[in-house]
Amino acid sequence: MRFLNRVQSWMRAVTRRSRMEREMDAELRFHIEAFAEDLARSGVPRAEALRRARIEFGGVERTKEECRDARGISFIDSLFQDLRFGLRMLRKNPGFTATAVLALALGIGVNTTAFTVFDAVALRPRAVKDPDRLVGVYRTAKGEDYGAFSYPDYIYYRDHTKTLSDLAMWSGETNVTTPDLSVANKENVPRVAGALGFQLPQLLQGGVERLTCVFVSGNYFQLLGAHPAAGRLFLPEDDQSGEPPVVVLSGNFWQSQLHSNPGIVGSVIHLDRMAFTIVGVTPVDYVGTLSRVPVLWAPIAARPLLGDGTRESLENRNVPAGIVYGHLKAGIALPDAQAELKVLAEQLRAGYPDVERNGGVRVISERTFGSIDLEAWPVVAATMGAVALLLLIACANVASLLLARAATRRREIGVRLSLGAGRRRLLQQLLIESTLIALVAGAVGLPLAYGTLHLLVVEIASAIPSYWGAIALQVTPDIRIFGYTVLISLLTGVAFGLTPALQALRVDVNSALKDSGSMLGQRLSKSRLRDLLIVVQVAACLVLLINSALLLRGSQRALRIDPGFDTKHVVHLSLEMAEPSMGYSQARLLKLNRQLMDEISRLPGITAVTQASRAPISGGNRFVPVGTDDAEPPASGGGKDKRPTAGYSYVLPNYFGMLGIPIVSGRSFTVQEAETEGPVVIISEATARRFWPGQNPIGKSLAIGSVNGPAPYPGVTAPFSRGSEVVGVVRDVRSLFLNRVDELYLYLPLSQTRESTSTLLVHTSGRASSLLPTLGSAVRRVDPNLPVVLAPLDWMVSFDPYFVISRIGGILSSIVGALGLFLACLGVYGMVGYSVVERTHEIGIRMALGAQRQQVLGLVLRESARPMLFGTVIGIAVSAAISRLISTILFGLNPADAISFAGVSLLLIAVAMFAGWLPARRAMRVDPMVALRYE
Amino acid sequence: MDKKQMELLQGTLDMLILKAVSLGPLHGCGVLLRIQQISKDRLEIQQGSLYPTLYRLEHQGLITSEWGESENKRKAKYYRLTAAGKRKLQTEAEKWNRMADVIAGILQSTPEEV
Repeated sequence: MRFLNRVQSWMRAVTRRSRMEREMDAELRFHIEAFAEDLARSGVPRAEALRRARIEFGGVERTKEECRDARGISFIDSLFQDLRFGLRMLRKNPGFTATAVLALALGIGVNTTAFTVFDAVALRPRAVKDPDRLVGVYRTAKGEDYGAFSYPDYIYYRDHTKTLSDLAMWSGETNVTTPDLSVANKENVPRVAGALGFQLPQLLQGGVERLTCVFVSGNYFQLLGAHPAAGRLFLPEDDQSGEPPVVVLSGNFWQSQLHSNPGIVGSVIHLDRMAFTIVGVTPVDYVGTLSRVPVLWAPIAARPLLGDGTRESLENRNVPAGIVYGHLKAGIALPDAQAELKVLAEQLRAGYPDVERNGGVRVISERTFGSIDLEAWPVVAATMGAVALLLLIACANVASLLLARAATRRREIGVRLSLGAGRRRLLQQLLIESTLIALVAGAVGLPLAYGTLHLLVVEIASAIPSYWGAIALQVTPDIRIFGYTVLISLLTGVAFGLTPALQALRVDVNSALKDSGSMLGQRLSKSRLRDLLIVVQVAACLVLLINSALLLRGSQRALRIDPGFDTKHVVHLSLEMAEPSMGYSQARLLKLNRQLMDEISRLPGITAVTQASRAPISGGNRFVPVGTDDAEPPASGGGKDKRPTAGYSYVLPNYFGMLGIPIVSGRSFTVQEAETEGPVVIISEATARRFWPGQNPIGKSLAIGSVNGPAPYPGVTAPFSRGSEVVGVVRDVRSLFLNRVDELYLYLPLSQTRESTSTLLVHTSGRASSLLPTLGSAVRRVDPNLPVVLAPLDWMVSFDPYFVISRIGGILSSIVGALGLFLACLGVYGMVGYSVVERTHEIGIRMALGAQRQQVLGLVLRESARPMLFGTVIGIAVSAAISRLISTILFGLNPADAISFAGVSLLLIAVAMFAGWLPARRAMRVDPMVALRYE
Repeated sequence: MDKKQMELLQGTLDMLILKAVSLGPLHGCGVLLRIQQISKDRLEIQQGSLYPTLYRLEHQGLITSEWGESENKRKAKYYRLTAAGKRKLQTEAEKWNRMADVIAGILQSTPEEV
C-alpha cells in the first residue's frame, strides 16, 4: 500500500511536473507571507517582518531542491541533465564521437548481419502450420544420413504410421518448357560473384522457356497449412495418376509475369506438351519446406508426364523419390515416432528382401530451415568467432579512445569533484556518455546491417536465372534482431565505459587541479591499461588477417593446382537436348550429335572435339564397385558389395590426347571398341597400383559393377562387366575433387548412343574463353532450340567445393579483417596522438635539454611499438592454433604457410606504425618554449 | 525570540509534524506555529527543513494535502493525517515514551541501585 502510494506520488510528480513546481512555489511564498503576518501581529513593522521571515526561512531554491528530492524525482532530473550534458560533450568532440560511433557501428552492423543470417537459417521457425511438431523423415544407409525414400516406400509409411498425423512428400524438381508463357528474362549481371572470382557458365536458353517445377504430394499444402493467394492449392485427390493433371503457380511468378491476374485460375497451360489446369496460386515468397520459390508446383502423380520423369520413378522401390514430412501427433515425442518408423522399415525389409535400397529411417525436427549439425558447426563457429573478434576490436578501440579522453578530462573531473559532485553521480554521467555512443552506434549499425543483407540477397537473387525460381531468404526486420543489436550496444557501452570511468574517478583531486597529467609515474600506471587494449586490438586483428590470408592463398592454390589435364584450352559444352521436354526422338538426337561435332570441328581455332559422359571437375561424379575378376561380385540382389568403388566415365578414343592426359602404358580405345562398347577398360595409375602392385596391368581383367546395380540417376544404367580387359594405363588426374588425386578411376568406351545428355569437350588453339561466342552460334546453326551450357574447364574449377569454401571464407574474413585493421589503426593513431598531447610538457623539457627531433620521434614510437609487438606475438600464436583447426576441416589448407604469417604480421606492424607515426610527428614539432609555458 | 531554544533531536521532526496535523488540518506555516505554540517556543525548528519533511511524509502516504482557504481568505495547502499516519504516530509515540523512560531511568540511577 505504502509502496503504491510512493509510486503514485512519484508518477504525479513526474507527469505533472510543471504543476507541482507551481504549487511548490505558491506554498513557500504563502509560508513566508503568513509567517511575516504572524510577526506583524506581534508588533514588528510590516517591511521588517517580511525581511525577518525571509531570513528565518533560508534558501528557497535549496528547499525546493530538497522537496524534489523527497519526491524521488531528482534521479530523473539528473538523468536528463546527464543526457543533455553527454550529448553536448559528444557534439563538442566530433572527431572522437565519429571515430567511436563508426568503430562500434561496424562491429554491431557486422554482428547483426551474421546473426540475421544465422537466425534465418537455424533459429527462425519455418512459416508452416505448427512448426514445433513438424518432422522430416529420411532414409539412412551406409554413408547416407539424409537419403530419399522411394515412392512406394513413402506410401507404405504414410498408410501405416500411427505416431505422425500425416505424411507428405517433396519429390524434387525438374525444368519444364511451356509455349504459353513468355518469361521476361532479365539480363543478370552477378557482379559480386564475378568480383569474388567465380565465373558462371554461359547459358544459351535456346528457343524455349524453362521453368522450375516442384513435385509435392497431394496432401503437402494441407499438411503445411498453406492458404492460396488465388484459386485453391492441391488436395489429395489431385495426386492420382488417372486424374486430369493440375498445377499451382507460385505467387512470385503470378505477380511478376502475370500481373496478379486472377483470371489465370482455371485456364490451361501446356507443360512439356501436356495440358495442365492451373487450379491456384501460392502466396508470394511461399516456400513450404524448400529454400527457394519455384515457378510451378505439380502433384507427384504428374511426375512421369514432365521433364525426365518416368513411370518407373513412381513404382520402383530402388529409385529415390523424395523427402517425407509429417506432424507428430499430440503427446508423441520424436523418439516414439523414430521407434515406430524403424519397425515399419524392418517390415519393408522383410517384405521386399530383393530391394537394394532398403535402409533405416531417421526422424528429425524440421522446425527451422536448417540446423547446425556436426558438419556445419565449424563454419558457423568460425564466422561467429570472426565477427565476435571484430566487435572485440571495436570495443577495445572505443575503450582506448575513452581512456585517452579520460586522461584529458582529469582536470574537469577534478574540478567537479572538488565542487562537491558525488562520485556516484559522476560515474552515472560517464556511463551515460558511453551508453549514448553505443546507442548511436547501434542506431547506425542496424540500417548498415540491413543494407548489407539486402545487397547480398539482391546480388544472390540476380545471379540466379529467373526460371530457377526466386530466393526467399527472409531479411525483413525482426524484433529479436533489433533487440540483439540494442543489447550488444548497451553491453559494450557499459563494458567499455566502466573501465575508463572508474579510472577517471580514481583522480586525486589535488593533483588533477594542478594538472600534473604529465608527471611520469602516473602516466606509466595509466598507460598499462591502454597498452593492454592495443595488444588486444592488434592480436584480434592479426588473427582475422592471418586466417583470411591462409584461406585466400588456399583458394589461390586451388586455382593453380595442376589437375593433370588441360583446363585452359578446353571448353565444356553441355547439351541438354535429350530432355524429354524437347520431344526429340532417339534417332534425331544421334543425328544432331554427329552434326554438332562436325560443325564444331570445322570451326577455325578448334583443334579437336570429343565426347564424354562427364567432363572432369564438373560434378556429376559417379562411382561403381570394382574388383579383379577373381573377386566374386555379390549374387544378384542380395548381400553387400564389399569391393572398393571407383569413379568412372565413358569416353571416346581421342579423350586422352585431347585433354593432355598421358597414356603411361598400353593404348587408348579403338573406334571399333568405342562403338560397340566392348569389354575393355583404361585405368588410372593409382588403380593399377591398387589391384596389381608391381605388375604389368595390361591384359589383366577387371570385374565392374553387378547385375541390376543401383542406378546412379533415374534413367541411367550402371556399368556392368564380369571381365573387362585392361588395355591402357593413364596418368593420375584430379577429375573428381580438386584437392586430391582420384584414388580409383576407370575409363570405359563410349558409344554415341549411350548418354541422354551430351557432354562435348572442345579443344581450342587459343584461350578457350575467347571462342565461346563462336561455339554458341555454331550450336544455334545446327538447332536454334537447343539449350546449351558453355564453360571453359578452368571456369569449372572455380566451382570445386574446396575452392568455393576457401574463397568465400577468405573473402569474408578478409573483409572483416580489413575492417579490424582499420579499427586497430584508428586505435593506435588515437593512442599515440593522445600520449603526445599528454606528454607535450615532458617533450618540451627534453627538447629544451637538447633532445633531437628524431630522438623524440623514436621515443614516442618506441612506446607504441612495444604493445604492438606483444599483440603480434599473441596474434600469431592464436592464429597458429586456429588455422590448425581450420585445416582439419578444410583439406588442402597449409596451416604453417610462412608467407601468410610473416607477410600479414609485417603488413600489420607497418600499417600500425604508420598510424602511430602520423600523430607522432606532432611531437617533433613541439616548441619547447610553448610547451614549458603551457603550465 | 527566546534565545534559550533547544535544538530538535534528530528524527523527531517527523513525529512532531504528525502530532501537529493530527489535531486538525494545517498549512505549512500553521504546522510550524502550532509546534512552537505547544512547545511554548522552547524548540527551534529550521523553517527550510520543514517543507522537505512535509513532502517526504506525503510521499510516504502518512499525510495528504489539499488546497483550501486560509484564515485571511488566501489559498493555502492544508495537510491532514491519513490512517497510516495515525498508526505511525501511535507507534512512534510509544517508542519515544519507552525510550524516554529507559533513558530517564538510567540517568536517575544511583550507585546503590547498580
